[in-house]
This record gives sequence, C-alpha cells and structure tokens, in this order.
Amino acid sequence: MNIPLRQWLDRLFTSLAMLSVLLIVAAMIGILLPMVWRGGSAVVFRGTVEFRRMQLEQFNRGDSAAVRAEAEDAARIRQHAYEILDRFAAGLDTSELETKVKQLHREFGVQLANREIPQKQLSELRSVSKELRDELLKAFEAEDKTQVLEHLDAVMSHSGDERLKGTVAAEFFDLARQYRDTVANVDLRRRSEYADSLKQVKDAMRSLFGPRPGERLPALPIEQYGSTRWDQAKQNLDKLLWAESWTGSGEGQTLTKSRIPREEQFAGTALAGLFPYVRDNIQGMLRPKWTFYWQYFTDDSMSGHYFGGVGPEILGTLLITMFAIAFSLPVGVVTAAYLVECAGDGWLTRILRMCVNTLAGVPSIVFGLFGLAFFVIYLQPKLGLPGSSSIIAGSLTLGLLVLPVIIRASEEAIRTVPQAYKEASLALGASRFRCFMSVTLPVATPGILTGLILSMSRAAGETAPILFTAAVAMGPIPTSLSQPTRTLSYSSYDMAVGDKMAMLAPHNQFGMVMTLVAIVLLLNIAAIVVRGRMSKKLRGQ
Amino acid sequence: MITQSANLLRTAAKFDRPLLLTPAQDWSGWLLGKTGRALLMIITGTSVLAVLLIFVFIVREAWPFVQAHGLGEALSSTSWYPTRDPAQFGMLALVFGSVQVTFGALLLAVPAGILIAAVLSDIVPFRVRQAVKPIIEVLAAIPSVAYGFFAVAVLAPLMQEHLHLSTGTNALNSAAILAIMAVPTIVSVAEDSLSAVGRELREASYACGATRAETLLKVVIPAAHNGIIAAIVLGTMRAIGETMAVWMASGNAAQIPSPWWDLTQSVRTMTATIAGELGETPVGSMHRHSLFAVGLILLVVSLAMNLFTEYLLHRAKRTSGVHA
Repeated sequence: MNIPLRQWLDRLFTSLAMLSVLLIVAAMIGILLPMVWRGGSAVVFRGTVEFRRMQLEQFNRGDSAAVRAEAEDAARIRQHAYEILDRFAAGLDTSELETKVKQLHREFGVQLANREIPQKQLSELRSVSKELRDELLKAFEAEDKTQVLEHLDAVMSHSGDERLKGTVAAEFFDLARQYRDTVANVDLRRRSEYADSLKQVKDAMRSLFGPRPGERLPALPIEQYGSTRWDQAKQNLDKLLWAESWTGSGEGQTLTKSRIPREEQFAGTALAGLFPYVRDNIQGMLRPKWTFYWQYFTDDSMSGHYFGGVGPEILGTLLITMFAIAFSLPVGVVTAAYLVECAGDGWLTRILRMCVNTLAGVPSIVFGLFGLAFFVIYLQPKLGLPGSSSIIAGSLTLGLLVLPVIIRASEEAIRTVPQAYKEASLALGASRFRCFMSVTLPVATPGILTGLILSMSRAAGETAPILFTAAVAMGPIPTSLSQPTRTLSYSSYDMAVGDKMAMLAPHNQFGMVMTLVAIVLLLNIAAIVVRGRMSKKLRGQ
Repeated sequence: MITQSANLLRTAAKFDRPLLLTPAQDWSGWLLGKTGRALLMIITGTSVLAVLLIFVFIVREAWPFVQAHGLGEALSSTSWYPTRDPAQFGMLALVFGSVQVTFGALLLAVPAGILIAAVLSDIVPFRVRQAVKPIIEVLAAIPSVAYGFFAVAVLAPLMQEHLHLSTGTNALNSAAILAIMAVPTIVSVAEDSLSAVGRELREASYACGATRAETLLKVVIPAAHNGIIAAIVLGTMRAIGETMAVWMASGNAAQIPSPWWDLTQSVRTMTATIAGELGETPVGSMHRHSLFAVGLILLVVSLAMNLFTEYLLHRAKRTSGVHA
C-alpha cells in the first residue's frame, strides 16, 4: 500500500473511533435529557387554579381563603361559557325539556287536587294542561321550523287564560318562549350531527374545568378536577377548539386526519360564540401560575398515579436498599479482609474467588427466582412469616446481588493499604486483629465507602430480583418488614406498561423514572467524589 | 528530681524475669485467634453458600419439569403454550429471541466498545479520557428499568413513526437498548487489557513505520486478544441476563419471526418470559417449574461464560506478565 492511502486509512480509523465516542455521549444525553426534562415537569410546572383546589381539598395544603376566592373568580368567568352552552343545548337536547314538561303537567295535577275547585273546572283545567303538554312535546319533536312555530303558537294562545295565572302551568309559557328563541338560531335538521359534536364539546369543557358548579360531585378524585396543569389545559383546549375527524379517500386507502375549527362547525348557531370566548378568557378561567411542587417527593399518589407524588416509592426503595446493605456490608468487608489478610493463595481462596465471580455473573432475574424459591417460599414459613413477598426477602435477595460489588471494592481498598503502615503497627506490638481494626480498616475506609455507595445505587435500581420477592404496584405504606412495598424501580416499570391511569399523566411516568435515575446518579457522583479525594490523599496532596 | 529518677530506675530494675505471658493468657490468646479466624471463615463462606443455595433451589424447582418433559424435548419445539390444555413447553422461540436480541446488540456494541476503548487508551490525551470515563460509568449505572422506560416511552414511538413499523417494541428496539447497556462493560474490560499491552510493542510498531491505526489493529489488539474476548463475553452475559429493558422493549411475542433475521418484529426472550409469567403461576404447577427450568438454562449459560472469561483473563494476565 502506498503511504497516502495508509495515512488516509489511519485518519478514517481515528475519525470512526472518535465518532463512536461521540455516539455514546449522544446516547447518554439522548437518554437522560427527556427523562430530566419531562420528569422535571412533574415537579416544576404551571399549575392552574384546579391544581391549587386539588391540593387544598385532597392534601389540605395552601391558603384556603385565597384559593376559594381565586376559584370563585375563575368560576365567574366560566359561568358565561356555561350559559352559552346551555342556551344552545336547550334547542338540541330536547329530552331534558320533555321530562320537564311532563313533570310540570304532573305537578299541576297535584296542585289542582289540593285546591278546592268545582269538579267541572278541574277537569277543564286538566285537559288544558294536557293539551299544552302535548303541543310542547310535538314542538320539541318537530324538525321543521314552521311546524315548531305552529305548535308553540298553539301553546301561547292559552297564555291569556286567567285561570292558569299563578299556578305551575304558567311555566309552560316560559318554556315555549325559551324554545322559540333557541329554534330561531338552530338548524334543526342538523340536530343529530350537532348532538355528537356537542357531546365532545361538553367532554372537553369538563376536562378543562371539571364538573359544573352545582353538579353532584363525582366519587373519584380524578373526576373532581379539571386540568390541573397548563400543558394539560392547552391539550384539552385544543380538543375544545378543533374537531378532528378521520376521513378515507377510498377503500383500502389509509385514513387521513383532518381538523376543522369548531367555530366553523357551529357557525351560525348560538354555540359559535363559546369558542372565541373560551379561547380569549382561558387564562382567567384557569389562572396558570408557575408552581414548584416539591411535595412530589413526599406525597402519596392518588387515583392510580394521576395525582400526587412518589413518597411511598422513595421510602420503599430506601428501606430495601438500606436493609440489603446492612446485610451485605459486614459480610462483604469480612470476606474481603479474610481474602487479603488471612488466606494465602491456596485452593480455598481460589474457590472463594470463583464463587464471588459466579455470584457476580448470575443474571438478576435468576436472583429473583432464587429469592422467591428460597426466602419467600422456603425460609419465611419456617420462621413463622407468611409465604408472600416481603421487604426482608427482597432486601436479602438484593444483598446477595450486591455482595460481589462490595467484596471486590473492599478487597481492592484493603489491598492498597501500604504494607509499611501494617508493619509499623505490628512492630509496636499490636495483634493482627488490632492492627486491622485500628490501622488497615481506617485507611481502607474511603475505598470501602466507594464500593458501598456503588452497591447502594445498584440495589436501588434493580427491578428483576424484587419482582417476586418484595415489590407491589399498588398498596399501603408498609408497617413491618414482612410486608411488600412499592419501589421506584418497579413502579417505573408498572407505570410505563401496566397502569392505564398513569398513561393519562405522562409527566408522572417520567417523574417516577427521573426520581429513580436521580437517586442512582447522585449516589454514583458521590462515589466518584469520594474516590477522587482518596486518590488525592494517596498521592499525598 | 534526683530522687524521682532514682525511683524510676528502681521500678525498672524490678523486672527480673523475661516478659512472658502466663500459660492461661497464652492459651486464651491462641484460642481467641483461632476462633476468630474460624468465625471469619464462616462469614466468608456466605458467598460460597449463596452460590450453592442458588444452584440447589433453582435445580430443585426445575427438576419436576426436567423429569416430566426433559430439556432436550423442550428445546426442540417452538410452541410455548404453558396455560393451554394440554400445556406445551417449547422453549426454542424464547431461546431464539434471547440469541437474536443479544446478537443484534453485540453487532452494534462490540465495534463501538472496542473503538471507544482504543480511543481511551491510545488516541486522546489524559484529560479527555478523564472526562469520557465518568460518562461511561453513568451509562453503566443507569438502572435497566430506566433504559426500558426510555425504549417504551421515547424510542418505540419514534421507531414506529419514522421507520413505518407496525410496532415500536421489537427486536431492533431491544437490541439498540441492550447495545447501549453492554458498551460500558465492553469498554472497561477492553480498555484495561489494551492499556496492559506494554509500551515496547507500540513503540516497536511505530518505529517500523506503522500508522496508529495499523499499530492498534495489527499489534495492540492482537496482543490484547484475550482481554478483548473476555470483554465481549462479559458484554454478552450482560445482554443475555438483562431482564427489565428487554421485557419492556421487545414486544413479548413468543414466536420465531419469519424470516428469522427480521429484527423489526416482536420477540420474547427467556428473561422476559420468566419476569412476565412467574407472577401468575400457582406454587407447584408445571408452568412454574418450567419457568425455573428456563432460569436454570440461563444460570448454566452464565456460569459457563463466567468460567470462560476467568480462564481468558487469567491467560491475559500471564501473557502480559511475560512481556513485562
């Protein structure tokens, strides 16, 4: 090969290699950035008045008077939107009107029976009422405007009747007048088409502002509030302002999505005014404010993971991690000490080392299988505990999993303690035990600490070993070690693929993972810092 | 002053016999030392005990299945219908899923890992190396469930939209995620072994007029081949044993895709099968035993790979010792 070609190949190799480094850096950023960004929005976001109301009512948090005043302000602005909606709906959704008319007729009958009037007059009034009812019902049913007006006129012809004054029956005329107003604005033949859209509009309004004031409160907290977050509100507003439909151009063709503004869809009706009104006043209706929801890390979750935070998950993760470490740290350090100080290079050490390596290589799901078969099903019933998953079983399983990490780190740390230190202490007459406890161990502590922190981060992040030994997706906060617990890792999994409610709140999905990743990475950074200090110390700076 | 020092001299002079322990002290000290050592050994034995217990309990739970069906029979059929009546336990599709996903991951991770190791050991200055290493460590530290979450929530929709696939959770997705997860393992072991190759070899190669690429490809990497193979095997182990990320990203279809090399279809690995099905099986059922049998296969495979890496690393140490 000639020299230019070789140099060119050399450059190609170098750039390929640098490219792969760049790729891996890009991968790290690409993975962490969406988690931090979207997860962060679970904690820092623009909360609406609905959010503050939810916090006040569900968590008893915030200034009660101020929130109520704010909610009333918002409700006042919303009221107009509801009025527009009602006016339009009255013409469209006649079933409500029909029941009202029937009820009026019945009430009138009762009223008459209680009054002492001659039998003849009574039956006359009854028949008038019946006629009014029938005419109104026909008016509601009719699709032709002139017919409707005919029926309404028939009703109104009785409005001069002196006998009906001051009775319930007078309300018939109010209804007739109202309906005449609505009919003037509505194209009755498009009634069924409007009915579907109206339902969508109502749903969108509901998801924006929650149940209407005066309506009976739904039992589920998730249905009691409108959009608690501004980003959510914007999505719901979009649903309110735009009608989406899938239209196919022909058979076998893919459907295409088309969006038309609802203002156009309802053009010429009373409802058309709703959309510009909501669009222009949405800020006043929801009052978004930047919110730092730090209680996210301490709150329990509600309605699946729709509201609330990750408090119990953090608690569970910490509990499991702590107990795992409490088991494996002493065992790990003693093993490391034995390997370095007591055992030579004989067959015993070799077997030990091989076992440690094997343990490090066992797949995490196999640890889960073992934890289930040994701790949960075999050991727990023998100790009088129920044979179901528990914190203690999960901790022990994780403890075994991180044991090799601790052993290797501690061994390395104890091995790097300068021989001169040990010799000096032995020469002063210290026993080997004394020498280890007061000289070797203190010097090796930073190294052991690094291993400890790394194994904590490993234990906090592992999911497979606790799937069957300790973790549940939903459940109360554990009160003893023989109960299962929620953990960050398992809940991250469950929210991503299992939990339907969590799908409605992607910020909470990302928030859960972000919390887990943040804990793990903070522990790792701590380990890097400790190690950096240690190496400085060893260099004598 | 004078009387004080005289007193001191007198007390010192009282030591008229050699500094010896009484027999009782001697005995108790010896006993204490021995029992202490024995105690240490017992605690040290925990890891040996753990390995033994893992084997005993996995085999114990898998044994009824192995007896009733036999692993050979299970591994020759692709129909995995454990809840049907009669149940069928063909594990071939699961094994194939694991192998396919792992192989796909290695195809990406091995070249990238070795190149990065070469960059760290031979190309960039010390400072850059100090900056890149923590990034690799961070990648190794991110929990697998977070990788799985990324695969489901970010990567799958992107794939579905831009590659026009029917599903975003498929073999390609999990292979990509596994590749990112395996790279740190490969880099750290390969970089150690590349750095362990002596300076003399590199300098000799440069003195012969070789370029850096030629030195790395023809001298350093061949010299470090034991360590690099060990790195690849360790990366494979990481990929095969990985559960959460694969479970979430692979789509969970227990079938061999047709054609078999098509990475854009959903597959299901051994680990994902255990994770997904064990929770629903009653204690003592054949389904549960079969899942433990899958676990046993995983355990045996990882043990074999482990022994192989240990052998390789041992050899690498010996050969580099000769060069030094």
